[in-house]
This record gives sequence, structure tokens and C-alpha cells, in this order.
Amino acid sequence: MTTDAPDEPVIVSAEIAAGHDGAAELVVNLRHPNGALEPVVMDGKLGLDLMQRCGAATLDDLAGRSWRDILGASVRPCTTS
Amino acid sequence: MYDVLITNGRIVDGSGEPAYAGDVAVANGKIAAVGKVDGPARQTLDARGQVVAPGFIDPHTHFDVQLLWDGAARPALEHGVTCVVPGNCSLSLAPLKAADRPALIGMFQQIEEMPPEAFTQAFDWTWEDFKGYRDAIEKGLSINVAPLVGHSVIRLWVMGPASQERASTPDEIVRMQDLLRECLQAGAVGLSTSFVDMDEHGRPVPSRYAQFEELDALSAVLGEFGRMLQIVPEFYDTDLTIARIDQLAELSLKHGIPTTFSPVFDSTLTPNNVPRTLARVEEQFARGARVWPQMQTRPIDISFSLLRPSLFFARLPRWVRILRQPLEPRLAALNDPETVEKMVADLGPDGGEMMMGALVVRGGDAAPAALVGRTLSDIAKDRGQVPARALIDLSLENGLDVAFLAASRGHEKTERIGPMLNHPLVHIGASDGGAHLASFATYGDTGYLFSEFVRKAGALSLEQAVRKITAETADIWGLKDRGRLAEGQAADIVIFDPDTIDRGEERPAFDMPGDGMRYVRDAAGIDTVLVNGQVAWRGGAYTDARAGVVCV
Repeated sequence: MTTDAPDEPVIVSAEIAAGHDGAAELVVNLRHPNGALEPVVMDGKLGLDLMQRCGAATLDDLAGRSWRDILGASVRPCTTS
Repeated sequence: MYDVLITNGRIVDGSGEPAYAGDVAVANGKIAAVGKVDGPARQTLDARGQVVAPGFIDPHTHFDVQLLWDGAARPALEHGVTCVVPGNCSLSLAPLKAADRPALIGMFQQIEEMPPEAFTQAFDWTWEDFKGYRDAIEKGLSINVAPLVGHSVIRLWVMGPASQERASTPDEIVRMQDLLRECLQAGAVGLSTSFVDMDEHGRPVPSRYAQFEELDALSAVLGEFGRMLQIVPEFYDTDLTIARIDQLAELSLKHGIPTTFSPVFDSTLTPNNVPRTLARVEEQFARGARVWPQMQTRPIDISFSLLRPSLFFARLPRWVRILRQPLEPRLAALNDPETVEKMVADLGPDGGEMMMGALVVRGGDAAPAALVGRTLSDIAKDRGQVPARALIDLSLENGLDVAFLAASRGHEKTERIGPMLNHPLVHIGASDGGAHLASFATYGDTGYLFSEFVRKAGALSLEQAVRKITAETADIWGLKDRGRLAEGQAADIVIFDPDTIDRGEERPAFDMPGDGMRYVRDAAGIDTVLVNGQVAWRGGAYTDARAGVVCV
């Protein structure tokens, strides 16, 4: 049995990382249709919003979700210095 | 007669050449002789067993405000730093019209976590132009300052509120160029801009509304002076960072200017970020561009409290659900025994020992002083609880305003970062001194460079480490007569014990205006710091010397 490859980027994993400002951030790994992996870093608020939007109880629940779920976080309200 | 003679030292002169035994003589604020020096001196400092090196230069700070009441930029100076570069990330305190002060204060409070009293009680706001700001800080400097001027304030001056609404017109760009030129003539070391920062209302800072033509035009003015362009790129995305590197390279080549960007930091979750970034930097340097990536030495910690939701609990669905609620229902849930029982059970049979046991209670908030600095594991044992329950109860007992620290959760792999710091094109910096006041200490990165990467890991030699933060930094920034122990150079000198130089433990200090709190780290192993030939720090105390200058 074969499975069609997705025709758009899909979240394959997510992990917590330390952000520049000392807050916990979310690193979401996307797999593109060509097989390439790409990390997307989201700050605390956006990461929690993504989990809520996806109805994810844990980070593992984000796996398999479309990259489009990240789009709601298009404006990144982060600060740095 | 020399003013100061430092004898019997181990000279590490900033060039990267091997250390040697010798003396350093100082006269009229300059280094008069290095090597075997004879002759009388008004003051002799015996440096036996210690390193004598050029003062360290910190190229990424936000001491703009603090310098108005603290000319030493404490505790930077006691860490051996003799020159700081404030005004990074598009924000400086000049040029600024009086009517625009509230707008800038909001940005500083948001980005640097400055208490409002810092702007209302600590100094008289006497200036509008850059020269006026320079005059205001120069009255009391005991550390040298090479100030950047911020792109956001230049935009704000020329465009007013429209600076956060739209692109500039050709006429406005010309006026910005004229204003930048005036700032550079008044002593600015360059221009800073940001593609990331937000104000207190969540709006992009003014610099982010600039189109490339505006930055190009401003860079042309920098080119007239050969001065630095500093940027904050979209550092969370490697591809965007690389695109910015390419933009900087074009500006560098076109206008003959040095450029630098920060932060650059390593994460095991994005392990290709730094290697890809450095590879692009190497390509652009090979073309003749100057695009210096700034990398910090210290690891990144995660801190949180139950006052605000944090991704720290992202693997605990029930905790996320409860802590995301508004304060009232959140408190109700945390006070409900049945709910808490389930939350604790979520941690498994060890009650959170593995996940939470190493958390450290931070000071500066409502945490009882006796608990500050202790691990949650220890505290839980004292209370006869498991860590998860201790975390909840301790938070409840103090209005949820207890902060916990998960140490070294990013940029923490010494075996990866050591070679990066030693890369010939990596500019050691990005300390953020004077910023993030209520979040973490931004001081002591130089001590950590020696303790972690020279002594412990051997990733850099003593001489290489000194060169990185002295002569190399001075050369990158075009700071004349700084960064080397050589005849005729400014006598910015640090005497330190190479076996003990380090950063101290992070601690809260209530020394900001209005009794405001910030996290600091004390220095270890620093014996004496001279700024322009005068002893500014010795034997664990500051002196009355005020020899600092704007050193551009």
C-alpha cells in the first residue's frame, strides 16, 4: 500500500526551545512536499495559539497538521534588543 | 614621571600574540611604554600573577538611559569593560523632540524593560539633538561610550507619528540623511536599525516601516564617515537572516561601510542555523563585504511564573489548559484540591522531579528571600512535597508572582559554541547590557568567555579570547587608539586573574530609579580597571575617577 505524499508543507514535530528574551518558544518542524525539513520558530503566545487552534493537547498532537495552521500567526509580536 | 606603572604583569596585548612578562606605563591617559619599563611613577600597581590586557569592548548594549545617572554602566565596568556601544536595535535617546519623548519611553520600556521612573526621576531631559545627549552623558562618564544613533528616532524626528504608518517620501529621506549626518558629526559611531522590534502597543517600531531605498540612502551617509550599520534581522528564521546578510553585503560594498547583525545564537533544535548563517557570511566577506555576525557567549535560560502562560508546560495538556485561563478562574483551579491532584499526577510517579526538580527560584519578585537561588527539588523536600505540588503551592502563597528559572536551555552546548566564537568572522558581542532588566542578567559575558571557553573547554587561547573582545572589536568598529596595549593607545586596561575571572551568580538588585529591580551578575577575578589612564575600579570597589569619554 502506498500513501500519497502531501502536496503542501506539513508539521512533523514540535519542541520547546529557549528564546532570545528568556521565554519558552516553540520550534515547529515542517516537511515540504519535496522532502525538505524546515524549522519555524514561534514565540510563546503564538505557540500557545497554534496549539489551541489545532486543538492540540500536547506538542505531539501538532504532527500532521498543515502549515496553514501557522498562518494565523503571521505577525510575530516579539521584541528583542 | 609616569602617572601609573603596572609592573610584573603577564602582558596580553590584544594582538593575539603570545603573552609575555612585562610592565605597562601610563602617562596623560595614554600608554607610554610596554615591556621592561623603568622610571618613577605616581602610582605603581603590582600585577604579579595576573594578566594585563586592553579593556574589553562591549559592542551591543542599551545603556543609553542608565548612563545619565551611572557613568560606569554598572556592573559592566567591574567586569573589565572599558567601552560600551549603546543605541542598538534602532533606539537611542537622541535625536528626539520633546513632544516625542513619551513615544520613545514606551519603546524603551517595552524592549529594555526600563521602569518608568528611569525616565521621570533619574535625570533632567535637557537635550533634543545628538550633541545635547552627548554633552549630558559626558559630564559623568567613568566608562567610554561609542554611541549608535537609532533609525527609529531619526524617523520619528522627521516623520512624527507617520513614522509608524508608512514609507518615507524622497524629501523625508533627504531630511533623515541630513539628521544622520549631524549625529555622526556629533559623535555617533553609526546607525542601528531593526526588522523585528515592537513598541509597547505591539506595533512595529518606526525603522520597520522603512523601505530599502531609505536604508540605502542612510547608508550612503554612513559611507561619508565610514561608520557602522547595526541591524536586528529576523533572527528566528535562517532564510530571512541570510536575506538580510545579502542586503547588508550590498550596502557594505556600495557604501564602503562595516555592518553587523545580532543576535546569532545556537540551538540544538535548529542546528543548521549558525552554520548556514556563517557560510553566507564567509561568502560575502569573500566578495569584499563586511557583515559581522555578533554572537553572545552566555547560554540562554527560560524563566516563567504562573502569572502568565508559558510554553514551558507545553507537554502537560492539563497545565496548559489551566494556566491559559484568565487570572480568576486560573486561581480557582489552582486552589481546587481535586484539580491540583490531577495536575501533580500528570507529572508521573516522580511528582515532577525530572521535569521540574532543577528549576531555580528567582528573586526580584514575590519569592521569599530565603528560597531565592534554591532548586525546586530542595524546596520540595523541605516542604515534604513533590516538586510539582511545591511549585503550585509556592506560587499560590505568593500571588503567583514567583519566577522559576530553567537554566541553559539554549545556546548552551559549549562544544558547539566554542568553535563558533573562535571563528575568524564571528564578532563576540550581543550582550544586551542594560536591557531585559527584569528578565535576566546581561552582564559578565566576558568573564564567562574566559571561564567557560578558555579555561574549561580550551576552545580559545587566552590571547585569542582577549583579542576577540579588544583589538578585533576596535578594528571592526573603527575605534581609533583603542583595544591594544601599545605605545600611544588610550590607557584602557584591565588587570585580571586568568585562573578565576568569571561571572558571578545571577542575583536581583534594586538599584534602578524608583527602587526598580534588575538582575545582575558580579565580577570575579577582576583586580583593576583603568579607563583613559585613571583607576576606575580596584580591589572590589569603584573609584571617583570620571575619565570616560565618547570615544569615536
